[in-house]
Amino acid sequence: MIEIKGITKTYRAGSEIFKAVDNVSLSIGKGELMSIVGHSGSGKTTLLSLIGGLTRPDSGTVVIGGTDLWSISDDELSAFRNRRINFVFQFASLIPTLTALENVMLPTAFGKWDGNVAAKAEELLGMVGLGDKINNYPSQLSGGQQRRVAIARAFINDPEIVLADEPTGDLDEETEADIFQLFHRFNSEKGVTFIIVTHNKELAAKTRRQVRMVHGVMGES
Amino acid sequence: MHISIFGIAKRNLKRKFFRSVAIALSVAVVAGTLFSITTVMESVELSIMRGTARLGADVMVVPSDAELKARAALLAGDVATFYMPSGVMDSVRRSKGVAAVSPQIFIESATFDCCDIADLRLIGFDPATDFTITPWLKERLNRELASNEILVGHEVARETGQRMKFYGNSFTVAGKLESTGMRFIDNSVFMPMQSARRMISESATKSKKPLAIAEDRISAVLVQVDPAYQPAQAAIYIENAIKGVKSVVSEEVISSVRKQLFVLLKSILMVSVVLWIMALLMIGVIFSMIVNERQREIGLLRAMGARRNTVFGLIMLEAAALSALGGVVGIAAGGVLLFSFKNLIRASLHIPYLWPEPSRFALLIAVSLALAFLTGIAAALYPAARSSRMEPFEAIRKGD
Ligand SMILES: Nc1ncnc2c1ncn2[C@@H]1O[C@H](COP(=O)(O)OP(=O)(O)O)[C@@H](O)[C@H]1O
Ligand SMILES: [Mg+2]
Repeated sequence: MIEIKGITKTYRAGSEIFKAVDNVSLSIGKGELMSIVGHSGSGKTTLLSLIGGLTRPDSGTVVIGGTDLWSISDDELSAFRNRRINFVFQFASLIPTLTALENVMLPTAFGKWDGNVAAKAEELLGMVGLGDKINNYPSQLSGGQQRRVAIARAFINDPEIVLADEPTGDLDEETEADIFQLFHRFNSEKGVTFIIVTHNKELAAKTRRQVRMVHGVMGES
Repeated sequence: MHISIFGIAKRNLKRKFFRSVAIALSVAVVAGTLFSITTVMESVELSIMRGTARLGADVMVVPSDAELKARAALLAGDVATFYMPSGVMDSVRRSKGVAAVSPQIFIESATFDCCDIADLRLIGFDPATDFTITPWLKERLNRELASNEILVGHEVARETGQRMKFYGNSFTVAGKLESTGMRFIDNSVFMPMQSARRMISESATKSKKPLAIAEDRISAVLVQVDPAYQPAQAAIYIENAIKGVKSVVSEEVISSVRKQLFVLLKSILMVSVVLWIMALLMIGVIFSMIVNERQREIGLLRAMGARRNTVFGLIMLEAAALSALGGVVGIAAGGVLLFSFKNLIRASLHIPYLWPEPSRFALLIAVSLALAFLTGIAAALYPAARSSRMEPFEAIRKGD
């Protein structure tokens, strides 16, 4: 369902050209759950952003479910993300002026949604163990709790694909395992495709497929 | 419950409350000044127009030693009396460029056992030739004034039907003129020349303050100039033809004030334009800051599916809300200040001063509001466009 062909992303730092992602090709089936490992600076975040249509590759194509992301208009691409993809970012990604519940609901502000979005958001917050914090603002939550809100948000739009960038970086081991279990559950019950960047080798080993990034180049491991 | 762009914008405005207030205030200052100044200018223009129209005379011929008094009377409504032989009128009528003439006699109402209200100008006019009061009489009263009837200016504290006593003579107020903004008219009492003459002669017996004005005396000759001539030209012909008189061109008297006043108001207007440009720049800078601070959030919104236009709209919505609020506050404050200091403004500018017509007033408010609104919109336009066009990933990275 995700077909990546020869994508390259370069950054220019002064006169030097730096390849953050170097000619990566990857085919990911529907309902896969895969992990990406690699040293910091190896291009994992950049790769995830390329897959999610957040940045345009210098060359190569990203085709998801038959749609070439960079052949459609920017508005269509936005709608595509809004409907079919969701993200867990590497850094704190909550809007400080919105409560936990509102942060989870946020993606629904950019499209039309049926059903009770708030109830669904509340349910998702319950799943990540924050059922009692739905009206807290991010500043009233710990780093780990904020991260879990962001994880709950990743499922509000019933995405086909979740791109998670070190989603458990600041969680304790137990919570980390819980979250991975949650991912496995969404994967097996709803067929959500997961691409997860992680440093935790143990958890990575539990995913059905692992790839490794080294200096922007990809190798299966 | 759901979440909307409006809700997000509202929270953003509350987030940095003082910054929001600062933006709204700077718009308020600009909108308020602009509105107040244009309103005053408009009022000046209007009162001058109404005043000259009501006077109906292009030139006022007065004794040469009374020129300054006459100017002060026309301008500020000073009550002054001066007299010259009535024969002057015939000479004026024969002068080149003169279309119509009408004599007036000025009498000052005094305090102390003579008159109900002091410091009024009593004007005797000739109903046969008059063009100041007669048009009004024809239109509103549709008859001539009886010998014991008077008309009062808008500022005179008597209403139609009430009685007034001057120099031992009792008069009935037959009508009250509309406000002209010209104290020369608003603060005057008008009576037919016949009544004025009778009042003068009877004052010797009826009043403790007798008037000593001879039968053949008048104060001024009002002149309508032939449209083929300039009033100033006709005025010179009159002065050349008749000894001992001066011609005061009403347009000149009035436009000289207007010129002075407009120079003053224009410089204030210039200042407020500079103020406006500064506000524009300041708000632009603040919005650049806001957008920079929120770059990562904007990237996040885009990642979650917000379109470019949605992000652009969000920022513009914030700017629009602040500038609309500022505009309303500024104009309201300006209006309140204008209203509460209207007497001070009137006095310190030495002008007759009126509020503009409701329709003009509404237009002034609308234009000031639109300008305030545009200030915020224009200032936020570039930052909003720039940040909404950024790639989501680039925006997110920029926040790191
Ligand atoms: N906007 C940018 N400009 C220059 N270099 C960048 C930019 N973004 C990322 N990089 C570089 O690209 C490389 C890959 O970054 P990233 O994808 O974040 O790696 P990872 O997520 O594996 O740590 C890093 O060396 C980083 O410094
Ligand atoms: Mg990274």
